[in-house]
Amino acid sequence: MIHHGHAVSQKPSRVVILGGTGFIGRNLAKNLEAAGVEVRTVSSAEVNLCEAGSSDILAGLVKKNDTLVMASAVTPDKGRDSRMQIKNFVMGQTLCDFLEKSSPAHVIYLSSDAVYDDALALANEASPSAPSSFYGVAHLGRERMLSDVLKKQGTPLLVLRLSILYGADDPHKSYGPNRFFRTAAAEQKITLFGNGEEKRDHVFVKDACRLITRCAERQSRGLLNVATGISVSFGDIALKVQTLFQGKVRIETTPRANPVTHRHYDIAALLETFPDFRFTPLETGLAETLKEIRQIS
Amino acid sequence: MIGFAGLSHLGIVSSIAASSKSKEGVVAYDPDAALCGRLKAGDFPIFESGLAELLKAAGSRIEFTSDASRLKKCSLIYFSPDTPTDPENRPDFSTLHRLFDSVLAVLSGGCTLVVLSQVPPGLTRGLSETMKKKPNWAGQKIYHQVETLIFGNAVERALKPERFIVGCADPAAALDAPYEAFLKSFGCPVFKMRYESAELSKMSINACLVAALSVANSLAEICEKTLADWREIEPVLRADRRIGQYAYLSAGLGIAGGNIERDLVAIREMAREWGTDGSVIEAFLANSRHRKNWALKMINEQLTPAGPKTVIALWGLAYKADTRSTKNSPALALLQNLSPFSVRVYDPQATLDQKLFPQAVQAGSALEACRGANILAIMTPWKEFFSIPPAKIQEALASPAAVLDPFGVLDSAKCTKLGLKYFRLGVKSEGGGNL
Repeated sequence: MIHHGHAVSQKPSRVVILGGTGFIGRNLAKNLEAAGVEVRTVSSAEVNLCEAGSSDILAGLVKKNDTLVMASAVTPDKGRDSRMQIKNFVMGQTLCDFLEKSSPAHVIYLSSDAVYDDALALANEASPSAPSSFYGVAHLGRERMLSDVLKKQGTPLLVLRLSILYGADDPHKSYGPNRFFRTAAAEQKITLFGNGEEKRDHVFVKDACRLITRCAERQSRGLLNVATGISVSFGDIALKVQTLFQGKVRIETTPRANPVTHRHYDIAALLETFPDFRFTPLETGLAETLKEIRQIS
Repeated sequence: MIGFAGLSHLGIVSSIAASSKSKEGVVAYDPDAALCGRLKAGDFPIFESGLAELLKAAGSRIEFTSDASRLKKCSLIYFSPDTPTDPENRPDFSTLHRLFDSVLAVLSGGCTLVVLSQVPPGLTRGLSETMKKKPNWAGQKIYHQVETLIFGNAVERALKPERFIVGCADPAAALDAPYEAFLKSFGCPVFKMRYESAELSKMSINACLVAALSVANSLAEICEKTLADWREIEPVLRADRRIGQYAYLSAGLGIAGGNIERDLVAIREMAREWGTDGSVIEAFLANSRHRKNWALKMINEQLTPAGPKTVIALWGLAYKADTRSTKNSPALALLQNLSPFSVRVYDPQATLDQKLFPQAVQAGSALEACRGANILAIMTPWKEFFSIPPAKIQEALASPAAVLDPFGVLDSAKCTKLGLKYFRLGVKSEGGGNL
């Protein structure tokens, strides 16, 4: 559950996005700018959080009244082992070193639903964190690191645990809508694990960014899952993508290597926090994504 | 004479019911003089069907007083104060202890004491030890009588109990004569047992009720995703003797009212303290939280493109029909989360606290609440709602409109035929999607 520092929305004086050139960072910057908010994006090329001394560079970039969004992580497509976990910890520690000396007005940490056990079928904010992957451990560890340092500083921290995001400019190749679009366009086929039975909650990246913007405007603190509350199987998504390609894509199934797991969300906390927030229906989001992919290419 | 100390919901109903059984009459004491004044005038702070008539019939056989010394006339005194709970549903027994000490200080022994308020295992034994140390009270007996009050049906339950459960220091010994005579006048079985067994039996009853309710809610939710209808399954379960026709099997919006939640929390805390497995209790509580938000989720799904301009009609504020209690009411929980919208509320008994909900207004009638609303949510199944024709509702609502009727108050087929999008617990909606 989250609480708001501002009873009504107030435009943040500036939002600094670490990982500002990544998938979420870029979309968030666009959304904030459209809302008239000054944005400063910081890429890993400018500040490499894995390197010693980066905290000093951050000190020169982040001002006291800024809202700081941490959207930077080494993602599983760059490795799923403990080295990836340690790199994420180092990034988290660099940020914490900076935050120990400096207090922005508000910190938003973009975490992942990987902090929950993969076998957890219905998740809410009270669900125990029991990550099944190094990536989940990395996010959970960083949540704790930030919580510890910001509590001492009295700076409000919001942790948003994001479910699977999709959108036009996603560079990741992970299983789901983004990969389906890519292989549908390039190879006219979509390959499913098994029959794609697993149900997941897919969030349109623009919706996630609208929500983050609202949290920044209300100076929200606490913990919130970012999910739509509606889970759809990968098989159904493949069919929706196939329809968007006018059926000119074949869906291939492969022998299943792992047992089927599902993930659903009880989004009561989100609805209690933002009762009028509405997610884009999946069909609409997928259609918009394809349109943008075609515009980009 | 029979005395009652502590005029809570339980104390008011029990004392008035006792006056219909006791020829000598009843003294109903509470330190709150204003409350006693209201009760003398027949102005009840609670709503219970038949209570006003019962009080009228009692006439001079009941005396409401804020003077504890008036209890001196009584040979049997019940302690029935309310037990407040914190936001986490943890009980606070300090009111009971204060009342107990203050009453015993005024009296000089010579009467039998009964703790009627619900208490955890060990509390009555503790009061017994306290009593023995007081002058004139060493030889007196104290009992714990399990209350089985049901809000909304309290008068009938108080007049015609199914059984009495009595906790005693020595279950093998006979009950004190005045107490035994009073219980006998109800003509129902009396189960005597140790203090702790009696105290835990009430929690056990509530845990069993919640177990059935949680099963019903879990399976009703599965029905909402499939083509099954929980209302078709419910009678099958009631016909099974191992389950029973009176089992709590109707799907609902979680647990409300406060008392059952308090018991679940108490059991969970005991399990934690003693290292026993309380995971099933945690599951009941989690399921209740999950189902309480059914209407909120439906409203989010049914929002019109008008977004914050959506007008919502809300029927019912009380946590259940036939009571004006709103404690842990799903309607209030919903209302709390509707701040961006205009809401028009109607309840036959409960009053809206305008300070807490400035975006809501209380309408004078159910149909008035519906005028121009995009969504109607029927949060309490009051009897009067059952007789309102769906055509009148459809006429009053905006078009298109959705009806959230968790308890099935309205005829779903008629609503759907009239073009209303209709949703209830335990069945998949035929009109899914957005308005």
